Amino acid sequence: MSTAIAEATADRPAVAVLPLAITAVGVATPAGLGLEALGRAVGDGIPGHAEEVLGDETPPPRPVRTVPDLRTAELIGRKGVRHLDRTTQLGLVACRLALDAQAEPMGERTGVVLGTSTGSIRSSSEYSMETLRQERPYLVNPSLFPNTVMNCAAGQIAIRHGLRGVNATLAGGHLAGVQALRYARNALRQGHADRLLVGGVEEFSAQGAWGWHRSGALDAEAPVGEGAAVLVVEPQAAALAAGRPALARVLACETGFAPRDGLAEGLASVVGTALRRSGKIPGEVTTVSLGCTGRTGLDRVEERALGLALGGALPGQTVRVKETVGECFSADGVLQIAAVLGLWQHEGRTRGGTAVVTSLSGDGLVGCAVIDMADPLG
Amino acid sequence: MPEPGARRVVITGLGAVSSAGIGVADFTASIRAGRRTTSPIAGFDTTGFPHTHAGEVHDFDPGAWLRRIEPARWGRSAQFAASAARLAVADADLTASALAGARSGSVMGTTSGESAVIEELVSQWAADGLKSLDGDRVGAVPAGRIAAAVNSELGLSGEALTLATACSASNYALGYAYDMVASGEADYMLAGGADSLNRWAHAGFYRLGALAEEICRPFDADRSGILTAEGGVALLVEPYDRAVARGARIYAEVLGYSVNCDAKHMVHPDPASIAECIRSAHRSAGVTPEDIDYICAHGTGTRTNDATEVAAAREVFGDRIPPISSIKSMIGHTMGAASGFGALICCMALYEGFLPPTAGVERVDPALGPGVDPVAGAARPAGPRVVQNHGFAFGGNNAITILGRAS
Repeated sequence: MSTAIAEATADRPAVAVLPLAITAVGVATPAGLGLEALGRAVGDGIPGHAEEVLGDETPPPRPVRTVPDLRTAELIGRKGVRHLDRTTQLGLVACRLALDAQAEPMGERTGVVLGTSTGSIRSSSEYSMETLRQERPYLVNPSLFPNTVMNCAAGQIAIRHGLRGVNATLAGGHLAGVQALRYARNALRQGHADRLLVGGVEEFSAQGAWGWHRSGALDAEAPVGEGAAVLVVEPQAAALAAGRPALARVLACETGFAPRDGLAEGLASVVGTALRRSGKIPGEVTTVSLGCTGRTGLDRVEERALGLALGGALPGQTVRVKETVGECFSADGVLQIAAVLGLWQHEGRTRGGTAVVTSLSGDGLVGCAVIDMADPLG
Repeated sequence: MPEPGARRVVITGLGAVSSAGIGVADFTASIRAGRRTTSPIAGFDTTGFPHTHAGEVHDFDPGAWLRRIEPARWGRSAQFAASAARLAVADADLTASALAGARSGSVMGTTSGESAVIEELVSQWAADGLKSLDGDRVGAVPAGRIAAAVNSELGLSGEALTLATACSASNYALGYAYDMVASGEADYMLAGGADSLNRWAHAGFYRLGALAEEICRPFDADRSGILTAEGGVALLVEPYDRAVARGARIYAEVLGYSVNCDAKHMVHPDPASIAECIRSAHRSAGVTPEDIDYICAHGTGTRTNDATEVAAAREVFGDRIPPISSIKSMIGHTMGAASGFGALICCMALYEGFLPPTAGVERVDPALGPGVDPVAGAARPAGPRVVQNHGFAFGGNNAITILGRAS
């Protein structure tokens, strides 16, 4: 362990976190729309839809996973949809599914916390390309300009559902899920919203797929995927008071930063802190949900970190959501959580699960979220 | 009001990389003088663009400021952010080991992330197809690398969060840093933002009719729009008690902040929603409208922004709108860094005792109504005690921070 991490974590207070209740989930993945489809695919090892999303450019020769049918006309209507890019459409569909899973409409004191890495890389790079290809560089389409801004999807979600609470977009890439939940807990605590839609979204595009292909960051057989996942969260106490049943609880969400030669130790350190702040011991962990499947070199770092943190072998249930959905970058984190919830539902589990959800980036960011099914959930 | 048991939070270090200079002293001197530092664009080919001025950081040499990270591995925005953070730490007179040995992290705002890197790759795509993308350069694309660069440069082991809430992102960042330090989650946070000039935004703003030809004149009757700009800014945030114990210079105390969302329109701001954000920021800081001595405006230089921002202020302050100025009149719109530069100049205004000016105002737009004082020309000597810093963004994302003179 690096000296800096040892010193910094030594005096980190193991203050218990405010548990959040997850009251609904909306997912759009290569397994189809909805949590049930994802849970079934993960549980039964069914690979996701493997056809490319059509665009002007040909994607690289490698496997892909894409959402088969977004049903946009039915789920988000036809009005104003024409100019929305796929990132925003995926986000809107996942939110619609999450909201439809609720018994009652959300109040306007609801907010949005959405994870991304670059927004839609297809939208921004195509817009930039237009400045080179048009007769005059400014002859770009003004109605597509909003798509090039990273918080486009979060803004559209707020507008379509009248959500006036905090509206945040986090550029966390692989860390976006745990960062979004961490951000959400603070925002709820500070009163910036009563309830939050917390999600991650990543679209498949030829531009993005070529980027992965050329970067060498993925194993040759690892598919480039896409998806969106949204969790409806609020403080557990508020859900109990309102009589809203919870699917699960979000306990600690810890993030940190490690030197490139100390990633496993850095990740192990945040997993340890996350368990302490969740009031859990390693022996209570039933499930790990991995974020590095198919990522060259990092998959072994992640498993080594979990071995260090949990004191040996991985627990019985190891979820590798990317085997179903492919590499989903900034949607990974929330999809890792959704996969656990879907799987638990699929296997009929109603109590006793505790999952450790890990995230890692080669740049040095490390993160861990702890999810459980407390008894009673309310 | 802060939560019971929360720690007081202060700003003790400032770093700027901007068209108005590198380092807080040069930046502040330029702003106080009311000097306009926007200029003809050199960073990209402007052939065919009718408007070609911006707030560019010309001849930026990251190697002169960065000690640990290798500039070539990072994008321009990350270089700006890490350089500004390095400057802020030096300004705070904090040793590298004291910072890295504590629970320290960063939170940086951005609008377009590593847009200059994306455009580098787009030019490769244009020349030889997507198959020709430089794989190493692809690794520099993620916007999350902006905060990662700060942590890497300073050896921080705490969180590295990049907020992409467009043009209010730095205020979101400062608010988050305040919460993390107040609640004891962190001991030091670098908060700020960074963005790079890029062709696509220049083209997009021009097509929206929002781009000024050469001069950005917020609040002036003859204003014609924004000038795009770039840069990086960082503020070192720490607990008051720790700052006092180590004998640090305290520029300002973070009193509170608020964020909300219009949820109405992606590009047209809503005065009622902004007014509510102001009121909520005042409640958070435990102040009333009478306490506010100065407003650092979002002040982009468009008619819509001025009308909305003044209407929102009027709704809260009535006929006594505090002096309200825009530093974008001098450095242009630095996008995700804009409200960070606003917070920085607010710190200096509180610490040195002046009101930052709006450059280029010849006649305050009468349509804004009576009592609008944009501090025209050059800085005005004054003794502000509590100031308010505005950031409004695309998507209706409003964020307002309230800073007070250290006591």
